[in-house]
Amino acid sequence: MAIEQAGLNKALFWGAISAALYWFLFQHANDFMALAHTTLDACAVQDGAGTTYFNKATPELCAEKGGEFIPGNWLKVFAPIAMAFVLSYAHGNFTGQFWDVLGLKAKK
Amino acid sequence: MELINFIELDAVSIILLILVGFVGGMVSGFIGSGGAFVLTPAMMTLGAPGIVAVASNICHKFPKALVGAVKRNKYGQVDVKLGLVMGLFAEFGVLWGKHVMTGIKNSYGAVGTDLYVSVMFVVTLAIVGGFVLRDYRKLKAMGEAGHEFQLTKLARWVQSVRIPGTMIYSTGAQAEISFLFMVPLGFATGFLASAIAVGGFIGVPAMIYILGVPAIMASATELVIAFIMGLGGTIFYGLEGVVDIRLAMLILLGSLFGIQVGAIGTTYVKDYQVKLTMAVIMLTVLFSRIFYIPGYLGKMGMIEPLQEGTVKTLKLIGDGVLALALILGAVTVLTALIGGIREHRRQHAPLAEADGYAD
Repeated sequence: MAIEQAGLNKALFWGAISAALYWFLFQHANDFMALAHTTLDACAVQDGAGTTYFNKATPELCAEKGGEFIPGNWLKVFAPIAMAFVLSYAHGNFTGQFWDVLGLKAKK
Repeated sequence: MELINFIELDAVSIILLILVGFVGGMVSGFIGSGGAFVLTPAMMTLGAPGIVAVASNICHKFPKALVGAVKRNKYGQVDVKLGLVMGLFAEFGVLWGKHVMTGIKNSYGAVGTDLYVSVMFVVTLAIVGGFVLRDYRKLKAMGEAGHEFQLTKLARWVQSVRIPGTMIYSTGAQAEISFLFMVPLGFATGFLASAIAVGGFIGVPAMIYILGVPAIMASATELVIAFIMGLGGTIFYGLEGVVDIRLAMLILLGSLFGIQVGAIGTTYVKDYQVKLTMAVIMLTVLFSRIFYIPGYLGKMGMIEPLQEGTVKTLKLIGDGVLALALILGAVTVLTALIGGIREHRRQHAPLAEADGYAD
């Protein structure tokens, strides 16, 4: 019983971390989109409530569209990679514990 | 300037992405060939352009591949050296393939990448799916003898070739193989991965039929290659601004549940059952993609544009067949797993009774 309780606690712990990370991701979904689109020179045009991004932008073309020119920065490519690693680690631990607690184990 | 479309996400598409991720993960954990071949078309069905679907898929795949590889290495199923060598050359393949994909996007726009991805799917699935199905039939017909892993003539020849200074011992094949064979296979795997986010279609069958690695080890080793390719691919495509982390992580949510089920399932089944699963799903996805192609051709002006209604109907049929592929995938893996567990319990029940009497 002690082992089962420890397993359940681990599952709940990692489940909470995983849920928090997903919450964070979607709270900042627009920021992540902005990061994704601005690895290269981009033009952000406001339309209504949202922002439309254009790649392969130049300051002149962007001004024509009435948007904001954002110089590209390739380091931003590591934002989704970092998110992917962190979420995979946390969520991977949670899902592993989840199946363990439910009793699904490999054949020895 | 170029517009890159990241799709709007509503409750329905979020739930679908998670469910699709679960099935994709289960299939991936079971056959080692990225469930991406249901995931890429599924994302395209939800409206993501081909290049965004492939890029986001690659982004979700690499950490998942790491999780799967670590788990299956615990079961002794991974040939790490082979995975690393093929992974290195796969990276070059990804780089060149991404160059081709971006070239198509620049010349023909997003719909051009939709057509390119779909055609690559149809051709690859037809060749590999048909081949795997034929092999499954042969194994099943051999009955008990078919449970033993059979080396193809080609693999036997490859394992016999000795090129001084290039030999590497493969724990999977249990033989020394020249890395000159691994180079083109790795490169082709990477190129295909950059086109459809699935390298396993070449990688896994190549390891089985050309290098002589058993299916269960080939599918586990492929996860190492997938990790390396996935990391590289995410960087290359990320620099183009087409990686949608929201799509990637929603699929990851479901697939990390699924991959553990699939990986555990492999410990309960025989080699040929893995092959049947591969063949069935491959051929179903192939049929689904065929229905979308006329629509893309019409949009690109390569054929007379079809009636709006006809395009919609074809797309609906394609969506339906894809859903069928997902269901078939889930059912096949779960049936194998449950059947395997039941059989395992039945075999150990008499021993348990004997223990009772001994008390």
